[in-house]
Amino acid sequence: MIELRNVSKSYAKGRVKAVDNLTLAVPAGEIFGFLGPNGAGKTTTIKMIVGLLRPDAGTIAVEGFDVQREPLRSKALTTFVPDTPAVYERLTGLEYLNFIGDVYGVPKRERLDRISKWLEKFELASAVGSPIQSYSHGMKQKIVLIAALLPAPRVMVLDEPMVGLDARAAHHMKAMMREHCDAGGTLFFSTHIMEVAEKLCDRIGIIHKGRLIADGTMEDLRARNGTEQSLEHIFLELTNK
Amino acid sequence: MSKLGSLVRVALRVNFGLSVFRPKALLKNKRDFWMIPLVGLGIVGVGPLIYYYLKLIKLMYTLLAPTGQTSVLLTFAILLGQFFILIFGFYYVVSAFYFSRDLEILIPLPLTPTQVMLSKFAVILTNEYLTVSFFVLPVFIAYGILAKEGPVYWVGAALTYLLLPVIPLTIVALLVVLLMRFANLGRKKDALIIVGSLVLMTGALGFQYWISRSADSSVDSRAVARVLSSSDGLVRSLGDKFPPSIWATKALAFGFKGEGPLNALFFIGLSGGLFLGLLFAAEKLFYRGLVGLSETSARRKAMSKETLAARVSAGRHPVRAIFGRELRIMNRTPIFLLNGVLSVILIPIIFVLLFNTGSGRSDAALLLVALGSKNPATAVLASAFFMALCGCLNGTASSTFSREGGQFWMSKVIPVAPRDQAKGKLLHSFGVAGLGLVAASAVIIVAFHPKAAVLAAAIAVGAVGAFFLTVLGMVIDLARPLLTWTNPQKAIKQNLNVLLAVFADLGFFFLLYFFARFLGKAGLSGPTVVAAVFGLLSLLGILSYRMLLRFADKRYPQIE
Repeated sequence: MIELRNVSKSYAKGRVKAVDNLTLAVPAGEIFGFLGPNGAGKTTTIKMIVGLLRPDAGTIAVEGFDVQREPLRSKALTTFVPDTPAVYERLTGLEYLNFIGDVYGVPKRERLDRISKWLEKFELASAVGSPIQSYSHGMKQKIVLIAALLPAPRVMVLDEPMVGLDARAAHHMKAMMREHCDAGGTLFFSTHIMEVAEKLCDRIGIIHKGRLIADGTMEDLRARNGTEQSLEHIFLELTNK
Repeated sequence: MSKLGSLVRVALRVNFGLSVFRPKALLKNKRDFWMIPLVGLGIVGVGPLIYYYLKLIKLMYTLLAPTGQTSVLLTFAILLGQFFILIFGFYYVVSAFYFSRDLEILIPLPLTPTQVMLSKFAVILTNEYLTVSFFVLPVFIAYGILAKEGPVYWVGAALTYLLLPVIPLTIVALLVVLLMRFANLGRKKDALIIVGSLVLMTGALGFQYWISRSADSSVDSRAVARVLSSSDGLVRSLGDKFPPSIWATKALAFGFKGEGPLNALFFIGLSGGLFLGLLFAAEKLFYRGLVGLSETSARRKAMSKETLAARVSAGRHPVRAIFGRELRIMNRTPIFLLNGVLSVILIPIIFVLLFNTGSGRSDAALLLVALGSKNPATAVLASAFFMALCGCLNGTASSTFSREGGQFWMSKVIPVAPRDQAKGKLLHSFGVAGLGLVAASAVIIVAFHPKAAVLAAAIAVGAVGAFFLTVLGMVIDLARPLLTWTNPQKAIKQNLNVLLAVFADLGFFFLLYFFARFLGKAGLSGPTVVAAVFGLLSLLGILSYRMLLRFADKRYPQIE
């Protein structure tokens, strides 16, 4: 469960309002797709949820724990995949996964099972002993995803996770997202790929110029806009205003 | 603006962060007020250094004046500057020419290889001007004032200063370009940087050793008389292993008179010739040496289930996990390894080499005279200061947060308290300082054969001193970490925090020196003074450690 209440964030001494009074709740078991044009406030919102940025106003809670007041408790339940896979390039893939396992306190048995499973799914077993700096962009994205899955978190926050993934990995990724939420987890992710959002998400939010301008299931969005057309069409229409 | 001009301008703006530098915003925020006492401590540290350096120059000038050979001071400064560039230039050039990430943006642009290389060369040249200015400019300025030189000298001094790095830097650059083109070492770039730097450092030290030996063997009364009776005997004896330094000295000292113009011609001619050679090499060889550099070699082999099971860790405490991460990243990044770990071992070794060259009355031996003092308290404190400085003047602690760079996001999202992360980093930084302590102890044992009790006391005082300085360095870096770098060199070598910490360390030791001297003059016995210094350092260590942990908890959420 993720809850944002009246969250605002601005840059350049308040001149640029990145997020403006955002209120939003994503319950457990839901895949929430967060859409918006470039610079709309998606990444800023995501960074505030995971504790990378501090909101100027409002509160954010993960599974009931305030991100600002109880950061360690909320972080222990959350994992994050950023839009660019900036990871420790001098470590091998396995050293990185071990590091994540250590800091999230994943026991050895579960750690081994999960690492084996996801390495196989994402076809990274042959590279896990090599330094991450030798990986391609897609491989780096995969190792960050595996690291995010390793603690089996209650909440996953993903910023454009499909970028750089090959078709097979993207397929596994989508299946994983569904599994995660079917098991009672919460998933908040941003994307520019409308087809993925339309097919995969239980609920969609559209942010534009820092404000949430639409929020609901695909059916809700269609009904509210009086159209039977695709998400892409609705998105373009809403963000053109 | 021409393509080259525009390229150089952008390269310099990126290098010095001019596009994001907001001088007006400095100290407007209350958060920046911590810098005031630190800058003060830095001034305390650097002020006496400059004062004593200028005093030494004046003393040497006075001593040399009766022989009419004062211009040897200029040779000394020029040689020192050029030598410094020759030694440390290798990994600057390799990193900038072949391993900077912006090459992937620059190469597809409609620019010639020469233009791209020249933009890189301009950045290194500018950095070298700043680096050598600390020991070259005071000599040039002091000499000009003491010799009451006219405008021709000052113009000449400015020109010499501008040309000074060109010869050593082009020599290193040509060497690197040829090596990269023909030795096919690109994919082993880490090994190349480490081995290349070590070879050049060893070569330069060997060269210094050879000069000292050959100077030593020629010391007989007739040779001394010959050197002193000739008006440029000393200049020649100091600079004859590297003639450009003689040419520059004569050009500067004589101006338009006598041998001045001819030597100026030699100096400018060689600089220009080498630079043209580099331009030629740039056009013909630069891009060819680049092929395949963005790839890194890695043997890919599927890990068996048994191997994977063995390598998956059983779960370490987060502090240990952070320590392991710091250790691995530091040791596997050549620039970090060279500046951090290797420098703590090399600095004392350089002292040993210098101490062993010549007759044992070299400058280094004089500098270390306090270490061999007959007074046990003086020996303990001097040894302890030497150990702590050898352990802490390397930038490991004062770049510990900056080194994370773009990966700092991970430290912010993982469920590990900032104070625990700081503990892991402290463990690593103090470990590196410990290496310095061990290396410095070995030097002291070899050079001064101290009594066991003196050594043990020095190690104890040195260790608590190093602990405090390590924490101080970490606090400095945590207050204003440099996380936006794209080239690891910037995180440690060109990081202002590292420089600030060095000055703060030196400033602190000056204060501590006066504190110990005050206690001694107040009539306290030697052992009591040592105990008081130990007590003070321990207290500072405990207080600063507590402060670091609290500061980490406060500061981590603020870093965005």
